[in-house]
Amino acid sequence: MIIVNDLEKHYRIAKRDPGLRGAIKSLFHRKYETKKAVKGINMHINAGEMVGYIGANGAGKSTTIKMLTGILTPTSGEVKVNGIVPYENRKQNASHIGAIFGQRTQLFWDIPVRESYELLKHIYEIPQKQYEETLAEFVDVLHLGPLLGIPVRQLSLGQKMRCELAAAFLHRPKVVYLDEPTIGLDVAVKVRIRAFIKQMNARYGTTVLLTTHDMQDIEEICQRIIIIDDGNVIYDGSIQDIKSQFGEKRVIHFELEDSITECVLPEELKKVAKILPRTDEDHHNVSISFSNKDISGAEVIHSMMNQYSVADLTIADAKIETIVEEIYGRGMKGRVHHEEIH
Amino acid sequence: MIRYMKLYYLFCKQNLKVMMEYRMDFLLGVLSVMLQQFAGIFFVKIVFDHIHELNGWTFYEILFIYGIAATGRSIHHIFFDNLWTLGWQYIRPGKFDRLLIRPINPLFHFIADRLQQDGFGQLFIGIIVISTAMPHLDISWGVLEFAILVVMIIASGFIFVAINLFFATLSFWMVDSLPIVWTIFNLSDFARYPLTIYHKGIRYLLTWIIPYGFTAFYPAAYFIEGSGFEKLALLTPIIAVISCIAAYWFWNRGLRAFTSTGS
Ligand SMILES: Nc1ncnc2c1ncn2[C@@H]1O[C@H](COP(=O)(O)OP(=O)(O)OP(=O)(O)O)[C@@H](O)[C@H]1O
Ligand SMILES: [Mg+2]
Repeated sequence: MIIVNDLEKHYRIAKRDPGLRGAIKSLFHRKYETKKAVKGINMHINAGEMVGYIGANGAGKSTTIKMLTGILTPTSGEVKVNGIVPYENRKQNASHIGAIFGQRTQLFWDIPVRESYELLKHIYEIPQKQYEETLAEFVDVLHLGPLLGIPVRQLSLGQKMRCELAAAFLHRPKVVYLDEPTIGLDVAVKVRIRAFIKQMNARYGTTVLLTTHDMQDIEEICQRIIIIDDGNVIYDGSIQDIKSQFGEKRVIHFELEDSITECVLPEELKKVAKILPRTDEDHHNVSISFSNKDISGAEVIHSMMNQYSVADLTIADAKIETIVEEIYGRGMKGRVHHEEIH
Repeated sequence: MIRYMKLYYLFCKQNLKVMMEYRMDFLLGVLSVMLQQFAGIFFVKIVFDHIHELNGWTFYEILFIYGIAATGRSIHHIFFDNLWTLGWQYIRPGKFDRLLIRPINPLFHFIADRLQQDGFGQLFIGIIVISTAMPHLDISWGVLEFAILVVMIIASGFIFVAINLFFATLSFWMVDSLPIVWTIFNLSDFARYPLTIYHKGIRYLLTWIIPYGFTAFYPAAYFIEGSGFEKLALLTPIIAVISCIAAYWFWNRGLRAFTSTGS
């Protein structure tokens, strides 16, 4: 469905010295700087897949999506969506895609939501019967009923996002690009939106490419994730795989009955675990990190309880969030190479 | 084509509804534009209270040129006003992206997004001024003359559109070209007076480079006996078509260079 080969995008940014003098100088003599936002990425996504596209701020996610939707023309490389080259055949491509870009509305600002949908019906040439069915379904799932008569400019962020989502799926597109659809929303709205996306995928086989900084979105919606960093793909695979590859690092936090300034590990743990830097003032807490490969959580707990009197403990789970954080961190320091991850 | 006409009608309907919501804005807008136009005419009137001819042109001839300019401009003002906003309302806030993911021509979508009520004031004034001046010209008005006048005015409107589109397109490279569009548009004020009163360089510029001459003076000269520009005047519709094609070509180049905005 989506085929991307060696895709690159370079932005040309006009550089100028600070201050008024710089501004005047740049009028006559402009210097340009090239910003390589996307540096040769590859991805193949099949019809009906739901893929999480994640990466740190400025990694190049939005830029990629803009090339996939046909908004931007790539600097080089190949893009094909449903057999169409998006930036060459914008209109044709547009009729079978849907998109949401963060907090920017795709709806018409001044007119009531329902009339926005009516206009979209004509723009996308949706048959009347299909339109009515789809709208009824969306109103039901997204609870749009009370919002239909209100102009978009009067909606709250969460209300607007629900309306946006309906607009993006209204013409039953084959592919939907969601660039941060849950940004700034409360938990209840997020849950509703996730349920809606999953339902669309199940019912219409919609392919979804989702960008988000909320790992909960990813865990609930996607089977596969693609991580990019600084314009390069650094991981492409299932969530399961990434968990078993990187998720063996565990941490257990102990709360001790007594205040212990110099905490030492029990003898049997010395080789396989380590104490994390302590942050609390009164020295009641200690966190121990270890790897699942070397020792089980139960053994760590057992040894600690033999040596100290433990008041409470929490086991930090192998969360996708911490894993991704670690990958971003390493990627940004430039230590991670493609091969190392795969 | 039929599809686009239907879509345009639907967009218009929505725009009108919004306009009615802000009824006060509508009235004030129309009135202020009319007032502005009156001021211009009043100025010409004062000048002619002191002299009888300006470089061989009578008051009513000048009024006629003025009327064609106003009517032509109103076409642009009412239907194509959004061209002004390309940089600061569409490209800069990222709203332009939305137009590129819809299965219709983005220029059409952009133009249809807005209907400018204030332009109606311009249209009223234009029509009033033209009909005041018409009986004083040495020409008998038949159906043919009327038809030619209408064609000339429409052509004039589209020349305004083409020139604004061309310079608005620069926004794709520089984010907001409004100051340039504005400066160029102000040149059109020159074309409200007979071009013969200007230096040859200016006349050449307004005829062949930025053809504002064809938005008022040349088409008007067609109806003015012995003006000496009757033949050139007939080029007006052709100039309009050529300008529109050139501007549209440039617009498409701009779309390819479009780099959106970060976020
Ligand atoms: N229109 C633009 N002109 C110039 N540079 C841009 C433009 N858009 C993005 N960039 C730059 O390209 C890089 C990638 O930006 P992009 O918006 O694709 O990141 P992102 O992964 O979506 O980040 P975020 O998570 O913050 O949304 C950034 O360094 C950004 O500064
Ligand atoms: Mg982004």
